Amino acid sequence: MAETNNNAVKAKKLSKKDVVKAFWRWTFFSHANYNYERLEATGLVYSMSPIIKKLYGDNPEEYKAAILRHMQFYNTEPHFGGVINGIVIAMEEERANGADISDEAINGVKTGLMGPFAGIGDTLWQGTLTPILLAFGISLGAQGNLMGPVLYGLLMFGIMLPIAYIVWMKGYQLGKEGLESLLGGNQLKMIITGASAMGAIVLGALASSFVAVSSPLIIQIGAVKLSLQADVFDKLFKGIIPLLITLGTLFLLKNRRMKSTTVLFILIALGAVCGLLGIF
Amino acid sequence: MHITLLQAFLIGVVYYLGTVGTPWLTLLGSISFMYKPLVAGTIVGFIMGDPVQGCIIGAAINLPYIAFISAGGTVPVDPGLAGSLGTALALAANVQPAVATTVAIPLGLLGTLIWVLHMTVDVFFVHMADKAAAESDLKKICFLHIVPPQIFMFLICVVPVALGAYFGVSYISPMIKALTGTPLHVLQVIGQILPAIGIAMNLRAISRPGTLLFFILGFILKTYTSLNVITIAIMAGIVAYFYTKLTEGNSSAGNSLAG
Repeated sequence: MAETNNNAVKAKKLSKKDVVKAFWRWTFFSHANYNYERLEATGLVYSMSPIIKKLYGDNPEEYKAAILRHMQFYNTEPHFGGVINGIVIAMEEERANGADISDEAINGVKTGLMGPFAGIGDTLWQGTLTPILLAFGISLGAQGNLMGPVLYGLLMFGIMLPIAYIVWMKGYQLGKEGLESLLGGNQLKMIITGASAMGAIVLGALASSFVAVSSPLIIQIGAVKLSLQADVFDKLFKGIIPLLITLGTLFLLKNRRMKSTTVLFILIALGAVCGLLGIF
Repeated sequence: MHITLLQAFLIGVVYYLGTVGTPWLTLLGSISFMYKPLVAGTIVGFIMGDPVQGCIIGAAINLPYIAFISAGGTVPVDPGLAGSLGTALALAANVQPAVATTVAIPLGLLGTLIWVLHMTVDVFFVHMADKAAAESDLKKICFLHIVPPQIFMFLICVVPVALGAYFGVSYISPMIKALTGTPLHVLQVIGQILPAIGIAMNLRAISRPGTLLFFILGFILKTYTSLNVITIAIMAGIVAYFYTKLTEGNSSAGNSLAG
């Protein structure tokens, strides 16, 4: 490995065109297959596919590893969160050129940053810009002025698309510069450890908000009515159902080595049965 | 005003184009443009021959949705449906703009049903993509990412909205009622469980000593406090900093050998 690393220094360089192409693929298709299980995962693979081909086309093992890496759960606000995609592209480029960047490092950066940027992005875009522009457009539109919707649209695209583009390219740039200064020392290893720890905590927070099942069940014992959620679970440990479901899923996947499709059917059956019986 | 079959179909297409994720106008063009009743209402007005009235009704329907945020795959109400079908029905019935809102809001349940259905069914395309990934078939993943989910989305958006516009909401509202009872509840429960797979797969990928403990820490923080994810991420960064300092500091000799 060490030999090939040295020989292949900077052999595979992404052009600006490659990075921009990935940006447009993301801008149009990030949510084309949005779903409850992995949200934007296939959107990321779709956006990165020309880059994966270019960087790993001559190495079947790495090619496959790159695809599998990005099939993981990914969800962020697609405009401001594009900074993560930019950083990830830079990391893939360094890795293809022999840098010791593990799956964990790339995954850690993605999971650590996707939640915060989703929060920041949604607040700025849907929470701040959209109401301002809409209030303006509606005030014109309510008087029957067709410039209301037209100006609203022009302003929305005119503000958000340049922001998304700049943020994406900045992410790539930051990734390149940051990595080059880091690759020398022991720092990269520390970053992976740190990013994995941070990523796991953020994933915990995301699990709490995404896996949102609770039980409406009421147990009647004599004259006493006991609400399973409010009187039992909330007093013991509020999020016990979502936590057990997530950890149980992890157990099936990791310890039982079940295929994710099998687990999918188990969870759908669980949801259908508990939903029908009124347990959830 | 009578709605023809072609108009009804086009109104369905307006709704499809506004549904979050349709790629034709970029993501922004769906959620931040066609999804907004101000825009959808105007276009439905064009289709029905009265863009100005469509714009006025769309603006009225849009008012309660000004601060609407769609985040993390949840859609509590559906401005897209209110804007497209709601405007069409209001125009057809020739009601006042203010009354249009009351026509549009009950449609929200149908929108939720369509959304939850697509978010659930799309999971199967991801699993097909998993198979393709195991065979390193990038082309197939790209196909699965776009074509099957979009055909499905087109059908479940256009058919009910076109029927609703053509026959009028009084004919389809019993159907909406029947579907939004138990079937919607079951779909919602499934939708609340499925993210567990994505999160568990990610945890499996990180899989380091302590990962599970960090995960539970984040889970408890979010469950028991009202902190948002940004704040938790900052705290996570601080914890990660000290954890890294402590662990990597002690084992740097071992690391330099391995490196």
